[in-house]
Amino acid sequence: MSETAETQLEKKLRRLIETIDVGNALTEPLTDSIVHLLRITAAEMNSEEASVLIREGDDGDLRFLSATGKVAEQLINLRVPAGKGIAGFVFSSGQPMAVADAGEEETFYAEVDKQTGYSTQTILATPLRHNGEVIGVLEYVNRIGEPPYEPFSPVEMDKAALFAEAVASLINAYESVKLFRELGEKMIDGEGTEDYSQVRAWLGELRSAPEHREMLDLAILIRELAARGEAEREMCREVLEAVVKFSDQKSETSFLSY
Amino acid sequence: MTTVTGYQTGKFGTMSTYFQIDDIWKSRTGKGVGVAVIDSGIDQTHPDLSGKILEAVEARHENKRVLFVASDAGDSAGHGTACAGIISKIAPDARFHSIRVLGAGGLGDGQSFLAGLEYAIKQRYRLINLSLGTTKPQFFAPLHDLLDRAYQAGCIVVAAANNLPQPSFPSVFSSSLISVSKSTETDPFHFGFRYGEVIELTAPGVNVRTAWPGGGYKSLTGNSFACPHIVGIIALLLETYPNLTPFQVKSALYAIARENLEENRPVENNEGESV
Repeated sequence: MSETAETQLEKKLRRLIETIDVGNALTEPLTDSIVHLLRITAAEMNSEEASVLIREGDDGDLRFLSATGKVAEQLINLRVPAGKGIAGFVFSSGQPMAVADAGEEETFYAEVDKQTGYSTQTILATPLRHNGEVIGVLEYVNRIGEPPYEPFSPVEMDKAALFAEAVASLINAYESVKLFRELGEKMIDGEGTEDYSQVRAWLGELRSAPEHREMLDLAILIRELAARGEAEREMCREVLEAVVKFSDQKSETSFLSY
Repeated sequence: MTTVTGYQTGKFGTMSTYFQIDDIWKSRTGKGVGVAVIDSGIDQTHPDLSGKILEAVEARHENKRVLFVASDAGDSAGHGTACAGIISKIAPDARFHSIRVLGAGGLGDGQSFLAGLEYAIKQRYRLINLSLGTTKPQFFAPLHDLLDRAYQAGCIVVAAANNLPQPSFPSVFSSSLISVSKSTETDPFHFGFRYGEVIELTAPGVNVRTAWPGGGYKSLTGNSFACPHIVGIIALLLETYPNLTPFQVKSALYAIARENLEENRPVENNEGESV
C-alpha cells in the first residue's frame, strides 16, 4: 500500500470511528447479552448469583467481566491472580468443580467476600471454552432463599457446562470486538508511527503462535498446489472436503459414548 | 484365572473370563507406595498430610524450557491438597510427590501439565494422579506419546474425565491410562467399571469431604475428586502386589468392580426371579 493510500485509509477510519461511540457501542450489546444470559441461567440453576471471569493478560490472571445479584457492581473488574481460589483452578485445569461449604475457612473467597461484603457458601465453577481453549470461568454462587443452601448437584454441573457453551461464544465475540475497539482507539489517540508499531507487534505475536504457523504452512501448501492449474485446484478441494467429512464422522463415532 | 459360568450378559458385555483377586488389599494402608500428584501443590501443614510429603517441586519457565525446582509454595488453589487428602484417607501410609503445575504462572494449561507428567514419568513414579485435562488439539499427539512411555515404564497414570460436551485429553486415551468419572457412591471400595465405555471407571465424586489448605475440610464435587479415590485403591493394591503392571492394575480394578456389581445385585432364586 502506498503512503498516500495508507494515509487516506487512516483518515477514513478515523472519521468512521469518531462518528460512533467506540468505547461502548461495540461492546455494550455483548456485555448486556451476557448479563441477560447469566440472569436466565442463574434462575434455571436456582442460584442467587452468577458471574463470568475472563482471562487478563497471558499469565493466567482473571477478571470479573459480568455478574448478576446483590454485589454485581462490586464484583465487576475485580481481579483474581493466577491459580488462586476455585476460579483460578478451574481456569488453569479446565476441570469444573463445586464446593458445598466455600466460606467456612480462610480461602480466597473470603478475600473476595471481604471486598464485596457477600458471603459465598456454595459455589459451582465451570470453564468457558472456545476452540478447545479455556477463555474464562462461569460461576454460580449460593441459592435463592435462605441458608443453609443445598449443594450444587452433578446434574446441575452438566447443565452449567451447556450454559457455558453459550456464554463462551458471547465472550469470544466480546473479546474480538474489544480488540477491534482498542485498535480503533489507538488510531484515534495516537499520532505518528508508535501506534502502528504496537499493532505490528501484536500481528507479529499472532503470526509467531505455533497454531498460526501450522495453518500458514498449510495455506502455503494449498496455494502452491492450486497455482499448478484448474485440475489440481479441483483435486485439492475434493481431497480437503473428504478429509473434513472423514474427520467429522470420526469424531462423531469415536466419542459417541463419551 | 477363573471362568465364571452362567454369567448373564449385562453391563460388562459377554466377557466370561476374568481373574479373581483376594481381599487382602482391603486391609492395607498404602505403606511404601509413593504417589505423584500433578496439581496445584499440597498444603504440607494440613494435619491429614503433614509428614507425608516426600518431595514438593514446582514448574518454572526458563529459556523456553520447563524446569522443576523445589517448592515451598504450598497450595494456593486447594485442589491438590483436596486430592492428596482423598488418597490419604484410603491409603493413610502412602507418601506424596507434589508436582505443582498450576498457579506457577507463565505457563499455558496444557504445556504445564504435560511437563509435569513428563517429569513424573522420568522419575519413574509408579502411581500418578492427574486430575487435569486439556481439549487443545495440539496436545493430543505429545500426550499420547507420553502416556505410551508411561505404560512402558510401568507408571500407572490415573486421569479425571472432563464432564464437558467435548472430549478432553488425556482422559479419552483408553488403553494406556485409567480414566475416572464421578458417581454418587460414597464407599471408596465400591467403585464401578464400565467396560467398553471411553471413561471406564466411576468412583465417589459428589460432595466428597476432604482436606483443604489451612487445616480444614470441604465438601467437593467433580470428576477430579473421583480420580484420587481410584489412586487410593491402587496404592493399596500396589502395597499388596508391588510388581503389578498398569495392565494388571486395570484388570484387577475390573475384577473388583465386577464383584461390587454382583454384590449389589438382587438375590435370584433358581428360576432367575428376584426375591
